Amino acid sequence: MTQIILNGLFVGSFYALVALGYSMVYGVIKLLNFAHGDIYMLGAFVGLVILTAFPGLGAGATIPVLMLVLLISMLASGFVGVGIERVAYRPLRSAPRLAVLITAVGMSFTLEYGIRQIFGPSPQAYPLRVTGDPLPVFDAQLSSAQLVLMVVAALLMAGLGLYVDRTREGRAMRAIALDQRASTLMGIDVNRTISRVFFIGSALAGAGGVMAGAFYGSVDFLMGFTIGLKAFTAAVIGGIGSLYGAMIGGLILGLLESFGTTWVGGEWRDVFSFACLILFLTFRPTGVLGTRVVERM
Amino acid sequence: MPLVLKKSSSELLVPPNRHQMPPPAPFRWRSEKGALNVLGIAVFILALAVPFITASPYVISILTAGLIYVMLALGLNVVVGYAGLLDLGYVAFFAVGAYTSGILTTTFGFSMLEAVPVTIVVCIVAGIIIGGPTLRLRSDYLAIVTLGFGEIIRLTARNLEITGGATGISGIPSWSFFGWDMADGLVIAGIEFNGKILLYYFVALVVGLVGVGGISRLSRGKMGRAWKAVRDDEDAAEAMGINTYFTKITAYIIGAVWAGLAGQLMGTYLSAISPTSFTFLYSALILMAVVLGGMGSTPGVIIGALFVSLAPEFLREFAEWRYVLFGVLLVVTMIFRPQGIWPANAVFPWSPALAARRARRAKATEAPEGSAAGGPA
Amino acid sequence: MEKRFGSFKRVGTIVVAAACMALTAGCSGGVAGGGNSDTGGALKFGMLAPFSGSESAFGEYMKNGATLAVDEINAAGGVNGQQIELIAEDEACDATTAVAGANKLVSQGVVASVGGYCSGATLPTLPIFLQAKIPMVIAAANSDDLVAAKQPNVFLVNGTGTQQAQAAVKFAEKSAAKSIYVIDEGDAYSTNLSKAFISQAKDAGLNVSGSTTVTPTDKDFSTDVDKMMKAGTDFVYYTGYYQAGSLVNHQAKAAGYKGIFLIGDGAVDAKFAEITGKGFTDNVYGTFTMTPDMLQDGGAWSAAYKDKFGTDPGPYALQSYNAVKVMAEGIKQAGSTDMDKVDAALHNLKDFSTASGSISFTEQGTLSDAKFVIVTIGPDGKFVLSDRLEG
Repeated sequence: MTQIILNGLFVGSFYALVALGYSMVYGVIKLLNFAHGDIYMLGAFVGLVILTAFPGLGAGATIPVLMLVLLISMLASGFVGVGIERVAYRPLRSAPRLAVLITAVGMSFTLEYGIRQIFGPSPQAYPLRVTGDPLPVFDAQLSSAQLVLMVVAALLMAGLGLYVDRTREGRAMRAIALDQRASTLMGIDVNRTISRVFFIGSALAGAGGVMAGAFYGSVDFLMGFTIGLKAFTAAVIGGIGSLYGAMIGGLILGLLESFGTTWVGGEWRDVFSFACLILFLTFRPTGVLGTRVVERM
Repeated sequence: MPLVLKKSSSELLVPPNRHQMPPPAPFRWRSEKGALNVLGIAVFILALAVPFITASPYVISILTAGLIYVMLALGLNVVVGYAGLLDLGYVAFFAVGAYTSGILTTTFGFSMLEAVPVTIVVCIVAGIIIGGPTLRLRSDYLAIVTLGFGEIIRLTARNLEITGGATGISGIPSWSFFGWDMADGLVIAGIEFNGKILLYYFVALVVGLVGVGGISRLSRGKMGRAWKAVRDDEDAAEAMGINTYFTKITAYIIGAVWAGLAGQLMGTYLSAISPTSFTFLYSALILMAVVLGGMGSTPGVIIGALFVSLAPEFLREFAEWRYVLFGVLLVVTMIFRPQGIWPANAVFPWSPALAARRARRAKATEAPEGSAAGGPA
Repeated sequence: MEKRFGSFKRVGTIVVAAACMALTAGCSGGVAGGGNSDTGGALKFGMLAPFSGSESAFGEYMKNGATLAVDEINAAGGVNGQQIELIAEDEACDATTAVAGANKLVSQGVVASVGGYCSGATLPTLPIFLQAKIPMVIAAANSDDLVAAKQPNVFLVNGTGTQQAQAAVKFAEKSAAKSIYVIDEGDAYSTNLSKAFISQAKDAGLNVSGSTTVTPTDKDFSTDVDKMMKAGTDFVYYTGYYQAGSLVNHQAKAAGYKGIFLIGDGAVDAKFAEITGKGFTDNVYGTFTMTPDMLQDGGAWSAAYKDKFGTDPGPYALQSYNAVKVMAEGIKQAGSTDMDKVDAALHNLKDFSTASGSISFTEQGTLSDAKFVIVTIGPDGKFVLSDRLEG
């Protein structure tokens, strides 16, 4: 039982990292950014390129090197996210919402198959592996690597929470989420703030990608698609647009999946988690934290 | 007031002071519609003429698939374009139709024709089951719930025995009518039409008559106006006496039946179906067809569906690059034409309606601030 | 206004007229015209393989393997004096794309089909090739459903699930497995293999303690591994591909699994060891068809492959190579590309020597001896022969 919960929480923390970006972007410009999962993939590949270019890195101390690669990949994917918003979403800000959705799908195709053209269709082994001895937790075990990654994810999310809640820029984001026009009138640079949202969301996703690559050991061009769908689900469970909702949603989805696998078997796992999602939304149509407008950003 | 509310909603939508307005130039309007009709018939004739131009199995095959996409997109257009419900799992009904007819014809010995009513009934039931609890949700939640249902249907089909598991169903027969089987081909006036060309004609006929004809009638009728009212402003529509929930679920069910019939056609076209044909990607592609073409616009949706289904085929030459190109094309098209290739309110460039619209717009901008504010809003 | 309406009418008339003109002008290619004439020149071999989508890694391998065979045959003078040209089309592991691709191949005048990867996508192409009278040697797809249709033109050059499962059961018996756990990926290939294995293992009196399906696009399989461990497993048969299989193996070993990890032929790839990581490759075995390395000519075939494409051959490269060779031999024996003659010639093949040993076909068109052997990961991370399973 403990093992199932631990497994669920670990997977869930990845979902939460990606779901955050989904939710932030949705909160600010009401766009389901389908390309967001692909930023996660892109982050993993940036890490791959760095590690391949400097083969000495992987041999040294793993955790500091991982942190360094993480930082660079976060910056790179953050800028790519901003670039995508600039090129593909900004010209469409006043267009019908679904038009932007299609652009996002198009962007997602471009990123996925662009990476496929560069790195080929087969998965790449990650040069850097974080492994660790299993640590006993009650009657279950958790590897030290898992612990480190969960702590990193938690720190990133906590940092984001503080940023949005406490800083001027964070307040600007929340203001735009509430009323874009009024924020303009209040002197907020809407374009700049939206760019910032994309930067942060993409950087988090990129971090998730590098962590996944380093922990699981393989990256491929479609890895973002799956997690994108999962993160979208997680964001909705938590109440899309809500920051803390996305974190909770990610963890809930991770738990649902690990219990689903145990109870109903792997082949019915996704049926189980989607059925739970639908039942849940029928009774609480706004998600876990969706109604608390104050927390929306 | 109560007396007014008892009137049907369609009467309420008619401005009460209609007789006071200047006659709205009925002839111009008719000519615009007439041109569309002429164009539609011309396209239809062209579609019928294709097998005479080239009988290449490849061309016939991709056109048949393209027409099935058109049918799907027309159905989704009712749900997304008219009723404004974002459906990310539309392929679920496509799967329901394909599997229902596939199982009935291969396991229970039904003919394709006999399977049609069952497919329709099953799709209606599926539409009610899926739509019933979910249509009260906000649009983005509706999106994820429909996506979830799409995945549930696909995985269930993959895991069950009766649906053939991961391999799916093979050996689905072609259409037969009263003892004559389409696969046998037909010889008319010394010209031999093989089974594939006949299927192409059959699909074209279904799409042309049932799809295009049926949908445009529906959309112009009372129900169609109710859909659009709900899409544009749900509260206002409710205030006008429209049962919004009922309106939404009808749109959903009609969309479901359409997709189910398309699925049945797909089953015959492929002769074998498997769960891999019903992944989320297809829901996204069909939605893309609708939005790309122009939501709520029949000609637009047809163009969109043909683009989405045929573009990867035309880009086959670029082999591995085609999905990159496809992605870039989507982005570029949407940036330069976000309302779709052929929006619902499109008029021909030479149309008087366009001239009138331009004139109106010019007048509005020329008008001085003061008079605009003082005039009737 | 009259004039305006007239202009619309005129446009309509022009369109209709254009259609009629096209109708009469283009008659030669249409239903009313003559049939497709043979272009002459090279013999066109068509290959359907996945070049897009989640399975696209295998398309490259298959195309490379086939290209190698085509080049060899052409260098040796071709078939019956004619050169071979390989035309590869995408099937995307999707029925609709595969049907369009098959029709495209037919329209391009191929005389033989040597592809076929996903069983679900290959099934709907069978009637298309039959109708066009084109013999098929299916390179990779190996579902038993492919031969269930009893089409005379279908040959499987890859061992079927039933044949591979026999090898796996033999190995399980040999290694005295006490508690067997089967993992598949939910697709046609891996479920076919796992079902065949479970039923045969039970017939052999082995204890199958459980089975599960994983979602191959995931990265985290810790819960599946946990379930497997709790069942007291000492023998795992993973019937899917290397992409997820290597991760499952890694996570099982990391969780303390010490037993045997047997993988199906879809997972036997140098990438498996690379992804699963150093120190996690103990006790990994695979059921695999005989490769040239295991025969007398040593690694000549693999070396030729690597020389040409710069990578080691991946799964199904060899089968695709064999498919081309077998098809070419069939056409050579038949002396023509006529489907019935080629089919008869292929059925009569007696121990045709290929890169993986001699090949002959059964009544149904499957291999009479699929030659599955057990391989294991060598010190350099490549799979090497471990057990020929003879006797």
